[in-house]
Amino acid sequence: MSVFLQLLINGLIAGSIYSLVAAGFSLTYSVNKFMNFAHGAMIAFSGYMMFNFFSKYRQGFVLAFLLAILCTAALGLAADFLVYRQLRKRKASTTIQLIASLALLTMINSCILLFFSSDVRSIKIANPVYIVMDARITMVQAVIILTAILMMAVLWLVAFKTKIGKAMRAISDNKEVAQTVGINPEKIYLSCALISSVLAGIGGVLIGIEQNLYPQMGVMLIVKGFAATVMGGLGLIQGTIFGSYLLGMVENFGIWYLPSGYKDAISFVLLFLFLLFRPYGIFGKKRREDVA
Amino acid sequence: MNYDYLIHIGILTAIYMINAFSFNLSLGYTGLINLGQMALFGFGAYASALLTRLLGMNVWVAMFIAGLMTMVLGMVLALPALRLKKDYLALVMLGLSFILYALSKNWISLTRGSLGLPGTVKLFKSNLNFLIAAILIAIITYVVLKKIVNSKLGLVFQAIRDDELSAAVLGKDIFISKAIALGISAFFAGVAGSLLAHYLTFIDPSIFDLSQLVILLSMLIVGGLASLEGTALGVLAIVLITEPLRFIGFSPVLLGPMREIIYAALLLIILIYRPRGLLGKVDID
Amino acid sequence: MIEKILSVDNVHKSFGGVKAVDSCSFSIDDGKITALIGPNGAGKTTIFNIITGIISPDNGKISFMNHDITRLSVSRIALSGMSRTFQQARLFRYLTIRENLLLAKRANDEEMKSLLASFHCYKTLDTVVSELSYGQQRIIELARALLFPHKLLMLDEPTAGLNQRARHELKLVLRRLRKEKKTVLLIEHDMDFVMDMSDEIIVMAEGRVLRKGRPAKIRNDPKVLEVYLGK
Repeated sequence: MSVFLQLLINGLIAGSIYSLVAAGFSLTYSVNKFMNFAHGAMIAFSGYMMFNFFSKYRQGFVLAFLLAILCTAALGLAADFLVYRQLRKRKASTTIQLIASLALLTMINSCILLFFSSDVRSIKIANPVYIVMDARITMVQAVIILTAILMMAVLWLVAFKTKIGKAMRAISDNKEVAQTVGINPEKIYLSCALISSVLAGIGGVLIGIEQNLYPQMGVMLIVKGFAATVMGGLGLIQGTIFGSYLLGMVENFGIWYLPSGYKDAISFVLLFLFLLFRPYGIFGKKRREDVA
Repeated sequence: MNYDYLIHIGILTAIYMINAFSFNLSLGYTGLINLGQMALFGFGAYASALLTRLLGMNVWVAMFIAGLMTMVLGMVLALPALRLKKDYLALVMLGLSFILYALSKNWISLTRGSLGLPGTVKLFKSNLNFLIAAILIAIITYVVLKKIVNSKLGLVFQAIRDDELSAAVLGKDIFISKAIALGISAFFAGVAGSLLAHYLTFIDPSIFDLSQLVILLSMLIVGGLASLEGTALGVLAIVLITEPLRFIGFSPVLLGPMREIIYAALLLIILIYRPRGLLGKVDID
Repeated sequence: MIEKILSVDNVHKSFGGVKAVDSCSFSIDDGKITALIGPNGAGKTTIFNIITGIISPDNGKISFMNHDITRLSVSRIALSGMSRTFQQARLFRYLTIRENLLLAKRANDEEMKSLLASFHCYKTLDTVVSELSYGQQRIIELARALLFPHKLLMLDEPTAGLNQRARHELKLVLRRLRKEKKTVLLIEHDMDFVMDMSDEIIVMAEGRVLRKGRPAKIRNDPKVLEVYLGK
């Protein structure tokens, strides 16, 4: 029983981490209409910035957190302005933007490697462990779960109750029609880039505290986040949440049977199978455009 | 002049060229966004290394069989993947990299995981002979692919790239043509991978790294799509731009990431400012 | 014995909640030129796409030369003898005129040049089609469809984008096809063209067939006028 509970909790934690990653990724996919794999690198970047300000320069926790988010937001805006906006201006296809995001991903990873070396870093903070009916959960892990839920709730509120959220949904549904009612697409794209960078910033700090930092971590995270959104249904809020937690659960219950090294392989295989046989995810509907 | 170094660069360039030529066939000529080209390349490398290591096969035979195995893998994937929208094909092939990475890292009994596999040095103890062989194979690849793209089949590939619906309406079997394009690309990717395995005498999971794909994409896009000559130029350009870095005095630790930053930056610059590259005839759609 | 080369039998097709094609039934006579007319949204292009296999219908049956082609793929249907053009010219834009035409038929340069010349198009065969004007592109697409071996030629708004001269040449080409016992089905909005060229007219509205008959009869039919002039 306690093993089951522990696996459940681990699954919740993993699922929360994946939804922290997937939130920004699927936001960009819905509004800016392309898959931004560089999002993973931004999360890694945020983690490293937190390490930089908190562990290396010994700033206060809250200040370091805010600085990390600020830096990540700046990076995200720079990326949008220097790369994606230029591509949009030239009417580049979503595939080109995807390839560009892969290039940015490796570029940011390499920059992290240059400045922080390949040594594994960790952000040490006081982290009490709670025992819940024989299962362990640390404070950071609990915070992650809470943050993930909060983040989704806030996103939902923004999407459906605020002016800018409505504008984003309009652009997401039909850009041309949205323009005719006076919505400026570039402003929306920029806002979306900003919001997902902030999401990456928040996620990066938490994940960086929970897991150790290494330069390539962004790749693994974004692949998992991507897998979660595919499984749930690309671009749907409920799909993203569902997919993230499903992935977290399957991974953790899966390694009950398989050697733990195969944990990542589980996600990859699931991703692959979904892409091949149900690319529109569990919540998505089969559309004509999905099939050649 | 350090000839050993030049020979080394020459061999790697030739191997990259073989891989890039075949990548151009599926991406530039057929419009298949085969982001799994490096996955196929790595698969070929591992296949050949294992064939020689475990079965004691002759190296030349192993290379050929590895190419065939890679071709089969490519075509098997084609079955479900080609029925999907373009973007999904791209993602499935990308997903292949992740799976093969995980497999190569975890199937320790077969691949020794992160420790990697020592392969067999090619028949040629002498690197100079290896260089000559590699260049010859690159030339053969170029000639074969050139013949294919100039043939009726090549025309069908390009028709599929430009307007799949029109090609169908003219009676072309889209699915089989795409599968053949993918298969041919996969074969040469596998051969190129085998060459690398038998040159470096060592293969490990890092071959499936995303950064490797970015390098390949830079070469292809800088050179230009739908132009084999462009690809050759692109490979040379990338090599010539990044190799001199070695001599500017960066420490080896910095060299790796610096080069990757340059590859990525080059790719981005070309994508934004000159998406057709040097000799390209088409845009990526 | 007049053979029904093409039969559309009670075909339905909905997109989302919208019925694009509703109990559509008609048949085409062999060796005749039939025009499919009707207001926008009547379902003409949709039924074209269903016949040529691009869309599969929700219900119903399509027969071509006595074979059920309802569920066949686009390329199989094409190979059974159907050639078509599109509302917006679809060419292989990075390929030359010659390459575009070669994909339809293994013709030699002479044949290609004379076909183009009959439309007063004198561009060299090495021209990449993306460099052509829209009108010229439409001619190339037409030429390509003509070259493709067919028993039934389906043209979607062939006169759109063509100038007077090209339009005149198109009429000559169609008349020649009729002499060669080829069958033509075309969607058109140019009423003069339709009245002049067709042996038979089918009028569609709101996804179904309203009327079918010879031009003289259709021209004066009150229902048809009502549908065009609006209720």
